[in-house]
This record gives sequence, structure tokens and C-alpha cells, in this order.
Amino acid sequence: MKNVRLIFLFLAVISTLVLSGSRELTAQERISNISYKIKVKLDDKNKMLYGKEDITWYNRTNDEVQDIWFHLYYNAFKNEKSTMIEESKSDIMRGIRVKEGKWGWIDILKIKLADGRDLKPTMEFITKDKPEHPGDETVMRVCFPDAIKPSEEVHIQLEFQSKIPRTIARSGYYQDSYFIAQWFPKPGVYEEGKGWNCHEYHYSSEFYADFADFRVDITVPEDFVIGASGKQINAAPNEAEKTVTYTYQENNIHDFAWTADPYFIKVERDFIADKEVSQKEYEEVAGILQLPFEDVKLNDVKMILLIEPQHKGQIDRHFNALKAAIKYYGIWYGPYPYETVTMVDPPFRTRSGGMEYPTLFTAGTSILTSKDVLSPEGVIIHEFGHGYWYGMCANNEFEEAWLDEGINTYSTGKTVAWAYGPGTLPMAFNGIPLSWFLKLPIYYDYELDRAAAINVVELDPITTYSWHFINGASYGGNVYMRASTCLNTLERLVGQDVMFRILRTFQMRFRYKHPHTKDFTDVVNEVTERDLTWFFKELFFDTLDFDYGVSSLTSKKMKKYVRGIFETNGNKEEYTKQKIYELEEKNKAPEQKNVYITKVKTRRFGEAKVKGDVALKLKIIFDNDSEEICYWNGQERWKEFTFEKPAKAKYAQIDPDNIWLIDSNIVNNSIKRKPSRIGIWKLTSKLLFWTQNCFQMISGLS
Amino acid sequence: MGIFKLFKLGVQTANKKARMLIYLWLTNILFSLIVVSPVYFLLQKDFSKSLLGDQIGEGMNLIWFGDIIFKYRDFYPSLIGVFIIPAVLFFLLYIYLNGGIIGRIAAQDVKVTLSNFFSDCGKYFFRFFRIFLISLIGYFVLFGVVMKLISALFTLWTKNASTGWPQIFSSNLKLLITVLLFSIVRMFFDYVRVRLVIKDSKKTIKATLTNFSFLGKRFFKVWLLYLLVGVVVVIFSVVFIGINQILPKAGLFFIIVFIWQQLYILSKIWTKMLFFSTEYHYAKKSITN
Repeated sequence: MKNVRLIFLFLAVISTLVLSGSRELTAQERISNISYKIKVKLDDKNKMLYGKEDITWYNRTNDEVQDIWFHLYYNAFKNEKSTMIEESKSDIMRGIRVKEGKWGWIDILKIKLADGRDLKPTMEFITKDKPEHPGDETVMRVCFPDAIKPSEEVHIQLEFQSKIPRTIARSGYYQDSYFIAQWFPKPGVYEEGKGWNCHEYHYSSEFYADFADFRVDITVPEDFVIGASGKQINAAPNEAEKTVTYTYQENNIHDFAWTADPYFIKVERDFIADKEVSQKEYEEVAGILQLPFEDVKLNDVKMILLIEPQHKGQIDRHFNALKAAIKYYGIWYGPYPYETVTMVDPPFRTRSGGMEYPTLFTAGTSILTSKDVLSPEGVIIHEFGHGYWYGMCANNEFEEAWLDEGINTYSTGKTVAWAYGPGTLPMAFNGIPLSWFLKLPIYYDYELDRAAAINVVELDPITTYSWHFINGASYGGNVYMRASTCLNTLERLVGQDVMFRILRTFQMRFRYKHPHTKDFTDVVNEVTERDLTWFFKELFFDTLDFDYGVSSLTSKKMKKYVRGIFETNGNKEEYTKQKIYELEEKNKAPEQKNVYITKVKTRRFGEAKVKGDVALKLKIIFDNDSEEICYWNGQERWKEFTFEKPAKAKYAQIDPDNIWLIDSNIVNNSIKRKPSRIGIWKLTSKLLFWTQNCFQMISGLS
Repeated sequence: MGIFKLFKLGVQTANKKARMLIYLWLTNILFSLIVVSPVYFLLQKDFSKSLLGDQIGEGMNLIWFGDIIFKYRDFYPSLIGVFIIPAVLFFLLYIYLNGGIIGRIAAQDVKVTLSNFFSDCGKYFFRFFRIFLISLIGYFVLFGVVMKLISALFTLWTKNASTGWPQIFSSNLKLLITVLLFSIVRMFFDYVRVRLVIKDSKKTIKATLTNFSFLGKRFFKVWLLYLLVGVVVVIFSVVFIGINQILPKAGLFFIIVFIWQQLYILSKIWTKMLFFSTEYHYAKKSITN
């Protein structure tokens, strides 16, 4: 057995050498066009970071590049002139208030080319997004002495020091716990013909950067437990200084975050693909995706959990959720390609929970939890999912945030539903879950998303730039919930299997690239073999309310005779009520059945229209349980349908298959001939009871 | 007399005055109907002919709930008004009704009738209204001063916490302290009212001031008695929730649920009477002694 293993090992080494060839990949062939070598030291006492950074930037474009722009995001926490803090003031929460002495900042001490030429004299701050906030220092520009020509590399050396903020958003410290993100000078993305895409740190936005190869040495006091993006390849203790330098490395990622906390419990487990996914599941997915079996096979992944001691009892819940995420995202959208994933239970009060970074994410949980409430599961699945939508399919989160948040919210909902089914509403009082005592409603994510989505339709288009949304609620509601609801609608329209193929194609085609909305719509059209561009124009690029309904339903007995003057044999004759009665009695056949005319009026209440080959289904059920199905192209404001049947209609329903989840008014999608009030009585009796309780409480104050 | 004996006396008195329960329940349900009716008519207009209307009675579902939130978003200010105005009126009405409740409890052996009940309501209304105004000082001291100090102490405790536990302990402990202190203030003014009725006095300020010495001498016993009645409220609530969760709710079973809910409301009204009757017996006994 041992010998067999050795033979396999030998063959594997040989084949790797053969496959990789004798030459290294050229810069043009590599995924990453940046490489970082960073050394950073944490000064726990003074809450400072001291760093040295070597950057190699490769010009992949056909432009001659004169300058380079960097994100200096710690300056978002520097003062109240920063764009982020200015923007926060107009939010419902009335802005970020930083306590005295808790600001954060980053200073560039040195910036030069590898040949020693100093770039610092050319350094300036850019406020292109918000020229009205000239005090923002989160984007820095330096000019090269000589332009970087196409296919040339430039080596830049920086030295920086940063004051870590008491956490305001995502990054910072609380006591001796740290979550360090957006901390190093990071170049923007150079876009051919357009220049640097390098946005300021905005209140309602996340990030955008180029794929890079990272090697980071992190020096921390020896009692700290740390986690970081990528794979730990070394740990070098320094007994004299009582520190340890950890080295992390990862290629083809576009950001690097780390965390340090003396109280973390570090647990490692393996995701063994063959154990988690059965042969049958692989075969099913391969069939759905129309891919060879080998293409859907997953890789093993090392799962690392850093968890706070007070949440120790939830270790299994964390790993189970992560396994579900690796499995379902993997088989549906493509295998997770990195060797590790680090899941961080965010250190207490560092406000860093629920955030994604390449190969590392923060979850978030409570001390007291209920097994019926899918928290932390939901957040774990969502943040891991960002490894796909943001991490690998790396859209510009400033400009088209829906491409990761919307797709990922949709994907999270699907994964949670497949792995766990519906969850219980997460309601707690003073930290105690109410589901311990009460039977709370259960829901699927798509239901919650829709409830939020229909309320933000008229505020902004989904595709709005993140910092241009009217407020944080519109940003969140549109980018996450409305986009997800539209994707759920799309899935119902094209079918679940086709939707899997769309997302698989999009993920694999744009893996390690920066896709745009147009790329997504192109994939949709290609995979569905239909032109669904209108779907995105109506629902993503505009603020049109989607609301089709049925406005009236009547069923009346068909009359052979009607009142009025009629010509009979050249004579004018009046048909009176009495005459009609007599005629009907006279001509009554012994077994004659009544015929009823049913008229249904459908309406387009909203501005959004269905287009292309799509029509709305209308179903009418009659008292004799027969049904009629017809279709309406939905272009006009209304349309009347008429049926002659031997029974009256029971009800009419537009979109009976609930395809149009984005419809803002599902109440008017159906109409019954006879009203029924039992449901309303039930709901009203509940309301009555709660009102009675409120009044009884009020009486206690009198 | 021990508190359990006083409690027993209170229960007997509350039971004897069961007719008041009906008056108070009717008042409660009528005011609640005023609030709920517009909602009912709105729902009837929009949901009674929709298939979704059948679902709204079958428990919470975010599809119909989302529709309601969206559909009536322009109505919220008026719906809040529909609640606030009857709530204020109900509050004032209860100041009036308290006179009837305590007055009839004090008339131990007299049968409750509509006329003697409302006669007591009218007789004590202005006195009780003045007590309500004085009680505002008590509530201001409680929430504006004492609770702020207590909150500051809790903030000191939790602001440098290293885990979420202190936050959970402190918020729940603070809630408990709030409830206990609130019960003291409420009990204090209950006794002012009860003693006014027993002495048939109109001097509300004097009654309030002398109540300090009255309660000061026997505070813990009085408070324990009050809390004992409070425990009855908790027991009723637990029983209600427990049974309510297992009751069938499908179809017309909601009528059983509705009856069960009304029994719970009746139990709450009954305990309100029990508060007053135990307080009455204690105050009466103390004054007689």
C-alpha cells in the first residue's frame, strides 16, 4: 500500500513538472498584473501599523501610463472632511460619530521607484467622485518620471504608518482585538483608454481592485492568534521582541485582510469533496449544467475558523454552514479554486462582521441563538459566496454593486433553502431569542427580499453608482434585495436549470476578470437563446413598478333575447321584459343548460412591461372546476377576455405560477367572483387582540 | 394579617364584583374595535376578493405581509392617528373608570349595578385626575432621573466589556429593575386612590403626602402583596401563551382562539381588579387598626 502511494506521488511530481513546462508564465499570461510584498508590524500598545510594501505593477493595456493612483482607505477615518463621514451625515442614522482620540489614518513616509527615484514630491490627493469634498484623502496619485509603456513593469517601494481607528466601519480595533482591512496602499484598476478607476472611500459602497499575488509578513505580539487572506506558509517567533512574524501567501486575489486577537480559538477542518458530495449529486448537476462529469468535481478545501470563546458552542454550526456553501456554490457555479478559506467570528465590538475578503470572510453571531433561526448560517453562506461574486468574478462594487451583492443574495437564498429549508424570523429581545418562547413565522430569503424590494423600486435603478443612491436604505434595498428578487423572477421565467447554466457560464467565463452588467445580460441572452435585454432595461436600469393584475370578473347568464326595438319581417317590434319572458318560456328546451358569459379584465397598473416573447398567463377556474388558460402580451394598459361556458367563473388569476415575483401587488393578481372573509376575520381578530392588550397596558398607567 | 390572607380576601372581593368585569371588558373591546375597524374595511376592500386574502389568516407569510406594507404605506400616519386618539381617550376613560372600580370594591356588600358603578366613576373622577397629574411627577422622577442614573451605572459596567454577556445581563437586569421600580410608583399611587376612597377625602395632595408615611412603615409587606398579584399576571400570561400555541387555528377554529384570547383579556382585567381589592383590604385594615 505504501509503495503504491509512493508511485502515485512520483507520477504526480513528474506530471506537474511536465504540465507546468520549463518556463514561467509571462506577465501577460498571468492572471494577476500586480504583485505585493508587504511587511507589516502591529504595535498593540499604540494601535499603530508600520509597513513596507514592494509593488510590481504590469501595464497590460496599450496605453502609456503616466501616473499611478492608490487607495489610502484608512484616511476615511481621519477627520470629518472625509467623503465617507460627510456622506454618512445625510443617512437616516444621522452619520458616523467618531469618539475623540479614536480616529485612524495612514501616512506615506516614502514612495519611490526601485531605482531610487523619489515619487513623493508628485504626491497629491484626488477627489474625483466628490469634488465638493476636497478634504478627502482616500485616493492618492503619484506621477512617474517616465511613462510606463505597454507590457512594461514598474517596481514601486513604499513605507507607511497607520493609526488603526477604533472601529467605525469594517476595520479597526476594540481593546486588544483587531480586524485589519483596507489597510495598505493599494493601486486602483487601470482601464485602457479611460485611465485609473480608483474611487474614494464611500459610505455606501464596497471596493474594486486588480488581481494580484500577495506575500505578506505580519508581525504581532506572541500571544495573538491571527488569521489572514491566503495560506500561512511560515511562523517565525522572535523571542527577544516577544513577537511572531506570520507569512501568508496567495495568488490571484484582489485584496488582503487580516485579524488578530489573543482570545481567538482557532479550529481547522477539511472539506473533503468526495465525502460531502455524492456521485449522484455530481451526475445530476453535470446533467443540469450540460457539462462533463469531471468539470463539476470539487476540490478539497482547508476550512479555518477563528471563533470568540463565548461562541465556542457554535463551532459545528459554523462549519456545517461553510460546508454547505462550499458544496452548493461549488457544484452550481464552479469549484472553489483556493486551498484555504478562513472564517472569522468577528472580535467583539469591532463592527467587522458580515464582510467579505478574498479567501477570508467575517461572519457574526450572538451568544444566545436558536437552532430554528438560520443565523449565523445565512451570513456565513453569504460571505463565503462573495468569494465567487466579488472575489473571483470581480465586478466594480462602486459602479455596479448589484453584480456581486444581488447575485450573491440570490445565491445565498438558494443555498440556504437547499441546505436548510425555511428559517424562523430572527427576533430577539434584550439578546434573548423570542423563538425560545414563541412560534415565530418561517420564511424563505426570497420572500423577505421581495418584501423589501417592492418598497424601493421607485427610489433608484439597481444599476446606480453605489454612492449615488438616495440613501443607505435604497442602496441596500436595490442592490441586494431588489436585484435578488429580479434574479428570482428571471429564474422562474427561464427555469431553474437554465438559471444554473447562466450563473455557471458567467462565473467561469469571468473568473479572475472584471465583468460588467452588459457581460451578464449577454450571458443570459446566450444561454437562454432569447433576447432578454428588455428584462434588464425595465427592471435593472429603471425605476418602473411592475404590477399586472385582474381588475374585474363577471359571469352573467347569456340572454337569447334582450330588450329594445328589433326589426322582424320589416316591422319594428319592441321586446319588453314580459315578451322576453314569454318567448323564453315558449322556446325552452326540456334539458337546456344555462350558458354564462364570463368577462375578465386584466390591467397593467405599473409602468414596467413584459416584452419580447414573454406573455402573461391568465387562468380562469369555473364553478364546474373546468379551467381556461390564455395569454396576454401585456403591452396595453388593459385587455378584456370573454368566455362562454356552462358555468360561472369561480376566480381569475394572472400569473398563476407566480413567475413575476417582482410584482409589487400580488393581491390584485387574482379576483374571485364571491368574496370570502374568513382570512380577513382571522387577521383582524389577531389585531383586535393585540390592540386590546395595548389598551389594557395603557389603563395600567391611569 | 398575612399577605396570603389579604390576597385571598382580594380574590374573593374581585370575584364578588364580577359584573364590573363585563363593563370593563366591553369598554376595552369597543375602543379596540374603533381602532381595528378601519383596518378591517381596508383589508376587506383589497383582500376579500383576492386569493391572497385566504392566506392572510393562515399565519404570517412575507408575501402578503410585504404587499400590506407596500400597499398601505401612505396610510401609516392616519393609522397611527387612529390608534393614538382612541388610546388617549381610553386612558382618560380609565381614570374615570378607576373611580367606579375602587368605589365598588369599597362598597363590600353592595351588588354592582350600572348606576352605582358610574355614580362612583363620576364621584371620584376629578380627584383621580388630580392624582394622575401628581403621578406624572412620580413617573418623571422614575424615568427622567432614577432610570437615567441606573442606565449610567449600567453603561459603566458594559462599556469596557470584552464579550456580549455583560450586555445581555445588564439589559435584562435593567429591564427587571425598571419593572420593579415602576411597580413601586404604580403601587404608591394606587394606594393614594384607595385611601382617598376609604376616607372619602378630596384632598389629593395631602393624601399623596401622607401615603409616604403609610407605605414607609410597611413598605416590604405592601410591595410583596403587590408583586404577588403581579405573579398572577405572569402565570395567566404563561398559561395563555402555552395553550394558544397548541390550539388549532385552521378554518373556523379561529373562533376558539378568539374566545381564548378574550378570556385572557378578561383575566387581565380581573387582575387589575385584584390589585385594587388587595390594596383596599390592606389599607382598610391598616386604617382600622
